[in-house]
Amino acid sequence: MKKRLKELVIHRLKLKDTWVICFVLGLVMMNYPFISIFNKEVLPFGIPLLYLYLLVGWSFSIFIVYLFSRAARRDSDTKGHL
Amino acid sequence: MLEVNWVWGTALLYIALLFLVAYYADQRQKAGRSITANAWVYSLSIAVYATSWTFYGSVGKAATTGIDFLPVYLGPTLTAFTWWFLLKKMVRISKENNITSIADFISSRYGSSQWLGAIITVITVMGVMPYIALQLKAVSTSFTIITGYHDFHLGFMERVYIPSPHPGLFTALLLAVFSVLFGARHLTSTERHDGLVAAIALESVVKLVAMLVVGAFITYFAFDGMGDIFWRMFQKEPHTLSRLVTLDATGENSYASMFSILALSMSAVMLLPRQFQVMVLENAHEAHLNSASWRFPAYMFLMNLFVMPIALAGILMTGSNNGADYFVLTLPMRLDSPWIALVAFLGGFSASAGMVMVESIAVSTMLLNHVLMPVVIRFRPQSWFPLLLINLKRFGIVLVILLGYLYQSAVGESYMLANMGLISFSAAVQFAPALIGGLYWPRGNKAGAITGLLLGFAVWFYTLLLPSVLQAGGWQTDLLLYGPFGIGILRPQALFGLTGLDEFTHTLFWSMFMNIAAYLSLSILLGQGEKESEQMNRFVRVFSSEGTPQWETKRLSKPVTIVQFVTLMSKFIGEQQAHAAIADYLGEREIDGKGGVSEFELPNLKRFVEKTLAGSLGGAAAGAVVESFLSDIGSRMEPVFDIFSTVRTSRDQSREALFVRLRASEIMNRSLELDIIMGDLLELLLREFKLDLAVIRLLNEESVLKVRSYRGVGGERITAEDRILEIDTHVGEAFLGRRTEFFNDTAFITKPIAKEIFQKEGIKSFAHIPIASEGSPPVGVLSVFSRSIIGLFTEQFVELLESLAGQLAQAVRIVEEREAKERERRQKEAALLENARVTRDLELAKQIQLSLLPESPPSLPGLHIASRCVPAAHVGGDYYDFFHRGTGVMDVVMGDVSGHSVGAALIMVETRSVLRAQMQESRSPKDLLKLLNELLYDDLTGAELFITMFCARYDDAKRALTFANAGHTRPILFRGGSWQELDAEGLILGVEKNVVFEERHTPLEPGDLLFIYTDGIIEAENDAGDFFGVDRLCRLLSGLLKEEPEVVIERVLTEVGTHAWPQPLQDDISMVVMKVA
Repeated sequence: MKKRLKELVIHRLKLKDTWVICFVLGLVMMNYPFISIFNKEVLPFGIPLLYLYLLVGWSFSIFIVYLFSRAARRDSDTKGHL
Repeated sequence: MLEVNWVWGTALLYIALLFLVAYYADQRQKAGRSITANAWVYSLSIAVYATSWTFYGSVGKAATTGIDFLPVYLGPTLTAFTWWFLLKKMVRISKENNITSIADFISSRYGSSQWLGAIITVITVMGVMPYIALQLKAVSTSFTIITGYHDFHLGFMERVYIPSPHPGLFTALLLAVFSVLFGARHLTSTERHDGLVAAIALESVVKLVAMLVVGAFITYFAFDGMGDIFWRMFQKEPHTLSRLVTLDATGENSYASMFSILALSMSAVMLLPRQFQVMVLENAHEAHLNSASWRFPAYMFLMNLFVMPIALAGILMTGSNNGADYFVLTLPMRLDSPWIALVAFLGGFSASAGMVMVESIAVSTMLLNHVLMPVVIRFRPQSWFPLLLINLKRFGIVLVILLGYLYQSAVGESYMLANMGLISFSAAVQFAPALIGGLYWPRGNKAGAITGLLLGFAVWFYTLLLPSVLQAGGWQTDLLLYGPFGIGILRPQALFGLTGLDEFTHTLFWSMFMNIAAYLSLSILLGQGEKESEQMNRFVRVFSSEGTPQWETKRLSKPVTIVQFVTLMSKFIGEQQAHAAIADYLGEREIDGKGGVSEFELPNLKRFVEKTLAGSLGGAAAGAVVESFLSDIGSRMEPVFDIFSTVRTSRDQSREALFVRLRASEIMNRSLELDIIMGDLLELLLREFKLDLAVIRLLNEESVLKVRSYRGVGGERITAEDRILEIDTHVGEAFLGRRTEFFNDTAFITKPIAKEIFQKEGIKSFAHIPIASEGSPPVGVLSVFSRSIIGLFTEQFVELLESLAGQLAQAVRIVEEREAKERERRQKEAALLENARVTRDLELAKQIQLSLLPESPPSLPGLHIASRCVPAAHVGGDYYDFFHRGTGVMDVVMGDVSGHSVGAALIMVETRSVLRAQMQESRSPKDLLKLLNELLYDDLTGAELFITMFCARYDDAKRALTFANAGHTRPILFRGGSWQELDAEGLILGVEKNVVFEERHTPLEPGDLLFIYTDGIIEAENDAGDFFGVDRLCRLLSGLLKEEPEVVIERVLTEVGTHAWPQPLQDDISMVVMKVA
């Protein structure tokens, strides 16, 4: 079950469509009005919310791209060059 | 303050290290073991994006306007999602077309337009000026801050008082030297610069480490971590903090500016010349994009981790954000840690140096290829061109850096670092519509791209660059405040009354609005040129065209040799490289006898030459060079003639070709007459392909190609003359060489006879196709001629004609086979007929011959006689006769001509005539034989035949038989239960002329039975090879002595026939039975 889910995720990550969707999603999440949710003068953990949101969101998206590259690396044509 | 010589020393050491690394990488590249063809190095080299603007300017921006320093790095992270398909596409296209720069990339897409390339280059040069200025300014300012001197102060200079160079200028020159050394070693811009990339990667490591060291030092040594900084800031200046970490509705730190900086950085990370250089051109393998797409954002993340803390710490420590641009440098110094400051200085220097080097090389390539090259190629190529070009490129590098220095000198002091960078970003974003549209939108055209770029550039210049220069210089502020000539609506920073936006958003909006609007509308309104749509296909469909071979749709009007192309290439890229390139190209291709490639391969070769030159001169210039070279030798690329209604580029058969093939097979199947098939086929060709004349020649028995069929008008000499198989006619060459011989333009024909004929007939192009089925020798040649169309014979058309000729060959073969069978049948028929006639004649002869034998034996008192002759064939050589001599005397003769052929029959007839003539007189048997021998000797010798003969006279009165024998089978006499053979000496007739025969007498008694016969009876052979034999015959006859002679004959015949069965009789059988009463 877990393995099948992993295969499924990897398969989806290989699709160009998924990349485009993530790109658009990221664009939306970094712009008005979405970003106004976090545009507040509060300091959770002592760090301003917006700053925290952007940093966390940034590292999260790096992680997603990392997953993408892991999935794409499984393509046979890229073997041996990484 | 740090001792100036320390700073100097460290900086020089660091530069020396860079040189070493670059040199080592170059050596490794020469050895073919690149250290930079590696995903980590690739990712680090992309980090050239982080310049001193990132290193110093981010902190400055964070401290002044706040959180909008982040989108500059968030944008690239977002684009990383698109790299795996967008950047991959760009890399693939660039590699396949030998793209040298972003200007080359975009101009190539729009039909290799020189204008477009030049415009992009100008925009780029103007656009990167502030950016390079920013780097130079950062280096000189940081030097000043760390040493306290306003110039590059050298210790000894204090004593000699010479004016020392301005640090910006000095930096500029130093970086220029480095760039020239490692960026312009070869002219070929598509070759990867390993030394440069290695240096960039090292610098990227240094600047990241420096930033992290400074950030960690300030955050964790001066303060107690990030939370502590934010907390103290919140305590001390809550309003400043909230301004810096939240977005406003309008102004510099707003949602709008967030969006525009995001958009600017997204396009800048791919469109800035240096980014294009490292990401696309220096890419070693497409798979590297994959890992770079997360490593590069991660690098950016680490780079920016401490920016906000440093900025806030700076505000906390200094009390304001004055000089925030250099907090990275000043804060360690305030904390009395000059060594940390020195690390920061090195980091900042790395960031600047890397950017300036790559940017200057990239822009210089563009300058050379798109501004200088169009001028250079107007002159006749010279052998020193390669040297000139490489030096022009070096000059370009220095020029670009000096332009930056110029801008810095003019504007430098008044602008923040980040803002200078954003001016450049705003220029780079102008390329986005033309580039993205060019990659994915097939309709995008040159007119749209040029107009869009020009409009966008104009808006950028008017609303951003111009104000920046004016504000810096303090000139003409009226223009900014009230607009040109007081027209308020045209105020540069509030164009058409648009206010409330920060200047970058304002410029981004208007420039993109104009740019995209012009690009889209002109692309839709106007069409694409031919060259444009060809290039469009290569870009938009770069992945889809893989692996599917295409029909060539172009041809060269005059053939060009390989040598000519090599000479051309040598003039631009040097002889050695030209030869290497052509050897590489020809490696897997077929070369014909004349040392050229096939006509269909020429356009490809031309494209290859163009591509190779493009690697050094840029696509547009390379195209122009090859074009002008072709026109010099009187050739040009032209579309192939469209024999079908549409030029099909796909290898699939067009509908028209299928139709023609179908019709051709119909023609072949409809008739069995070769002449009708050929005539119909030629008519089909003329009708479908606008040909003027078509001829079929077939090889006849005398090895001459004889005109068998032709259709069309004119061409008396062509249709009248047969061709012998000689190599000096085109027909002969096609036949002997077993391959299609065609000329697309008879103006370039070399065979004198053909040339004369074609000139007289006005024939422009022709093809001779050998008529041959797969694997067998040709049976003829199909020739087609056109008087109007040059370039009719495309690969596709020739292939179709060859297939039709193959079909025709099948038809010819079938017809020939059928004719051969027919001939054979007729011959057999005739033979049968002849046979029948002969048989009939022989039958007639047989009848005649039989009629020559006595009809019935004579009746003699006291003697019963019966006789019979059975020829083995129709006619035979056996003969017997009776001659009645008055009362009681009778002569009996039995002869056997050797053989039983017609010849034997004729001799038998002659013998009979001679005998009958001689029988008028009465002669004794031996005299008769002697006479016959004499008379017949000559004829028998001539016919090489001979005769055995038995001759007897029966005298009833004496009851005696007188006989002589010329070698004949001895007759048998039965008397009283015993039998004896009647023998007499005598030689066969026809052996010797004078023979004496013995004559004998024997008395006959009543009851005696005399059996005279030919050897056909005793030599009758059965299957086992046993002869019938005399014994068998005698035993048989002994039992028949009481019977009538007729019965005896019947029985003997039956027995002999039974004995020989199933074989027919081998020899004639004749017998005479005489029974004495």
